[in-house]
Parts: sequence; structure tokens; C-alpha cells
Amino acid sequence: MSEFAIQTDRLAKTYTSRFRRNREIRALSELTLRVPCGVKFGLLGANGAGKTTFVKLLVSAVVATSGSALLFGRDAREPEARLPVGYLPENHRFPTYFTGHGMLDFYASLSGLDGAQRKKRIPELLERVGLKDWADVRIKKYSKGMLQRLGLAQALMHRPRLLLLDEPTDGVDPVGRREIRDILNGLTDTGVTVFINSHLLSEVESFCEYVAILKRGQLALEGKISSLVAGRGYRIVASGLSDGLLDDLRANVESIVRTSEDVEVRVGSREEANAAIDMLRSGGALIESLAASNSSLEDLFIQTTRTGIEAA
Amino acid sequence: MLIADTFQEARARWLFWGLFALSTFLIGLFLFVLNIDIVAGARATVEIGPTSRTIYDIHKFVTVAYSWVSIALYVWGTLLAVFASAGLVPVLLEPGRIALLLSKPVSRPILLTGRYLGNLSIIALNHVYLIVSIWLILGARTGIWESRFLLAIPISVFMFAVLLCVVVLIGVVFESAALSVMVTVALMLISSLLAQRDWSIRLLTSEWSRQLWLALYWVVPKVYDLSGAMRQIILYDREVDWITPVWTSAAFGLAALGSALYIFQKRDF
Repeated sequence: MSEFAIQTDRLAKTYTSRFRRNREIRALSELTLRVPCGVKFGLLGANGAGKTTFVKLLVSAVVATSGSALLFGRDAREPEARLPVGYLPENHRFPTYFTGHGMLDFYASLSGLDGAQRKKRIPELLERVGLKDWADVRIKKYSKGMLQRLGLAQALMHRPRLLLLDEPTDGVDPVGRREIRDILNGLTDTGVTVFINSHLLSEVESFCEYVAILKRGQLALEGKISSLVAGRGYRIVASGLSDGLLDDLRANVESIVRTSEDVEVRVGSREEANAAIDMLRSGGALIESLAASNSSLEDLFIQTTRTGIEAA
Repeated sequence: MLIADTFQEARARWLFWGLFALSTFLIGLFLFVLNIDIVAGARATVEIGPTSRTIYDIHKFVTVAYSWVSIALYVWGTLLAVFASAGLVPVLLEPGRIALLLSKPVSRPILLTGRYLGNLSIIALNHVYLIVSIWLILGARTGIWESRFLLAIPISVFMFAVLLCVVVLIGVVFESAALSVMVTVALMLISSLLAQRDWSIRLLTSEWSRQLWLALYWVVPKVYDLSGAMRQIILYDREVDWITPVWTSAAFGLAALGSALYIFQKRDF
């Protein structure tokens, strides 16, 4: 058994158009990514970065131009490889002639559940996503949030080991988001790998352990969120700075914030912090405090997507 | 499950009910026409003459009626079926729906074939309902039960199965119900035109154009020839060459369905 739920090797996708002069659009460029089993993984990227293409490649809705994708060690193109996968697509369109119960029954049967298993599992899941009373109502009467929760129930029907969620809270109000997050949190310690594709950074930051950032179809950054956001800079609070010293500092640090009594100097690395302290002390200033500052995932995202491809 | 889903979708989209309602309307119309004493009038007309010929002539008259009704049902049923089926593939390929289906552990050919078979089953059911009903009405009214008339069921369903392959192919490539109808109906008309080989060969002046006409005739499904064969069998109970139109049409259908499956297998959604 593979230790990775998802394993891609130089996976690439180029869309071609027969009717346009500029025929090729490279959506994904040789993406190599490993998602260990049992983790909560977030995939971030600006619009058009290739996030949805990546997820569609994993479920074989899109055919790869080159490279490979494995799900638990099996080629993702094989139908059997998708047996342990639950998927909630972005902008899903469930057939509106189904009731909630009927829709779960149909997709569960395609996932390989027999009649007895479906009969037991459907009420359980409808209860879990708070749609028990709506089981026999046609889904064209469901709100966006209800559809999203029903979609999540659909993805969980066959007790998947990998959950692929493409913008799971898209268009859902804050209460609905919380409910979805609670359902997903309920999966913790069950060994399910949760892969979330989202543009909501706070959602990924609060839920996921690992993150990857895509930029123009390439992997720009990948790692454990706690490591990536820690130690991204230092904050030095000093007093007694002359105007000349402030001017010198401005040329060498990221930012300077003046308060009524102190000056807060922000630098991006340990080396810069030491150099700033040397300047402050040699200029006669007093160091009041020094602290490592954690940047948010948003800082990291903006920094990564604005600059070039950093490192994997 | 995929076949049952196609039934459920056809019911929900009123296609199923619409198809059966139109068939019921046709059956009702047929019943009405027979009730205004067309049959009695016709029988009376036939019975004017030597008594020894009466039974033979009535039987012949009813058999002719059977043969023409079978042709009418063949054309009506096939056209109606094409209209009813055109949307069922494009709707399956809607973004947000197909991606979820493809994420299930089911191969793409099975998904599309399931849709095809579901669609075919709905139409077959409708054809059985329509043709058996007309047969029962004709039989009860005339007292002549011509079982050869029921050949219209397999022949009509077979021709629809061939044309449905075209509907599926156009649906997969262009995701357009309207285009599926246009192409399929055009194909029916073209194939009927191409089937007029005898006069076309006489009219065409160059050898290459005659060969082209014949080549095209052999490629397309034999909508006209098969209806002709059906009429011959019902009317005269004689041996006709039905194998050639069947196998050439089946080959066309298989090529169209094979192309649809191949394109569906390679497409991005």
C-alpha cells in the first residue's frame, strides 16, 4: 500500500483549441506533488493557476498531456483507482429530478455500494449533514448551502479514504461554512485524507495541515503550514532613534512604523534583524523588544504569487 | 443503474410522458378513423363482386392497410424517437455533472453505453406500446390478425438504434440537441434519396458521379430500403433481401457509436 494518497510525477496538461490562432494553453506544467495519507491538504492558487485542472486530472475528468497521477499507488486513469475517492466538484450540477435520498442512492450505487449498504448509509449521512427532513424533497428546491451539504454527503457515501473537495464552501454563507467545516472536522482521526482546493485562504489555514500554492500551472510552494508561516520575519521595537538613523534604516529594512514613543522595525530574515540591531545600537538607540513574527497564509500566498517560482 | 437513471430523467423531463402521450393520441386517432366506418365502407366496396373473391379481397385489403400503417408508424415512431432522444446526451455532459460521474469507479464507455441503452429501452417500450395497440385495434376491427405486422417493432427499433448512434455521436462532439436532430433527420432524408438508385443511375451522366452515388448509398443507413423490405414481407409474405440493409445499417451504427465512444474517452470535461 502506498504511503501517499496522491502522488503526481511531472503531471502536465495543455489545452488545445482547433479554432484559435493561439492554440495551446498550458494549464499545468510538470507538477510533482506528494500528499501523504491521512493529512488535510489545501491547494491554493489565483484564478487560472491550474487548481481545478489538477483535481480533474486526479478524477480523470481531464486527460493528462504527460506525466502520471497515482491514487494510493494506482494509476488514476483506472476506474478502480477511484473507488476510495469521494469528490465534490466546483459548480456541481446535480440532476434536479432527484430527491436528496434519490441522488445519494444513485451516486452511491455508482460508487459500488449495494442496496443494503445504501439503505443503511443514506439516512446516516442525511442526518449528519442536517438534511434528514429534506430527504424526499426534490433537490431543485434546495438552497445553495443545502446542495453543498448534500454534495458533501454524496462524496462521503462510500466511506472514501480520499476526499477531493473543489471549492467546498463556494457560495455558502458563514453558518453553512461552519457546518461544512464541522462535518470535515468530524473526519479527523478517521484516517481520511482531505484535499481541499480553495481560494479562501482563511479556510485552508484554519483547516489544513499542509498546503501547496500553484502559480501559472507550476508548484510555487509546498509544505506544512505551521512551518511555512513561522519565522517569516522579525519585529524590533526600539526607542531614542535620531532622524538620520531612521533614514539609514529605511534603506535597509522592510518597514518602519512610528508610534508616539517607539519605532517598530520589521525585517524579513534573521540576518536582516541582526544587521538592523547593529545599526540601531551603533546609532545610540535602545532596543525595547525583539520578536519573531509569524506571517499569515495570506502574506505567504501574496508573496509567493507575486514573486517568481520559489521552491518546492 | 445508468439505464434506470435515463428512464428517470426522461420521465422527469416529460420526454417519456410526451412520447407516450403522442403515441396514445395516434392510437386514439386511429381508433376514431376506424369508428367512422371506414372499414365497413371498404368492406362493402370490396364485397361488390363475385362472392368467391370476397374473402380473398378483404384479406388483401386489410393486409395492404397493415403494410401502409406499418410504414407510417415506422416513420412517425423513428422521427418522434429522434426528437425525444436528442437532448439526453448533451444534458449528461453538462459541466458539473459529467465531472462527478467520471469521478466514480465506472469507465467512460460504460457511462455512455448505459445512456445509449437507457434511451433505446425507452423508445423500444414506446414502439411496442404503439404498434401492439394498433395491431390489436386493427385485428379486433377487421377480424384479421396479421402477425407479420408486428415485424414493424424490431425493424423500427433497429433503425432507431442505428440513428441513435448518430444522435449520440453528435451529442458527444457538439453537445447540441438541435444539431443532433438536424443531422439525424437530414441523414434519414439523404439515405432515402440515395436509395433511389435506379433513376439516379439513369440521370447521372458521368461514371464517377454514379460510383459516388452508389458508394454513399452503401455507407449510410438504409432507412428507405428497410421500410420497403418490411412492407414487402407484410404485404406479400415473400422472401426479400433484408439482410443487406440490416448489416450495412448496423455497420454504420457501430462505426458512429464507436467514434462517439472513442471521442468520449479522449475528451476533457
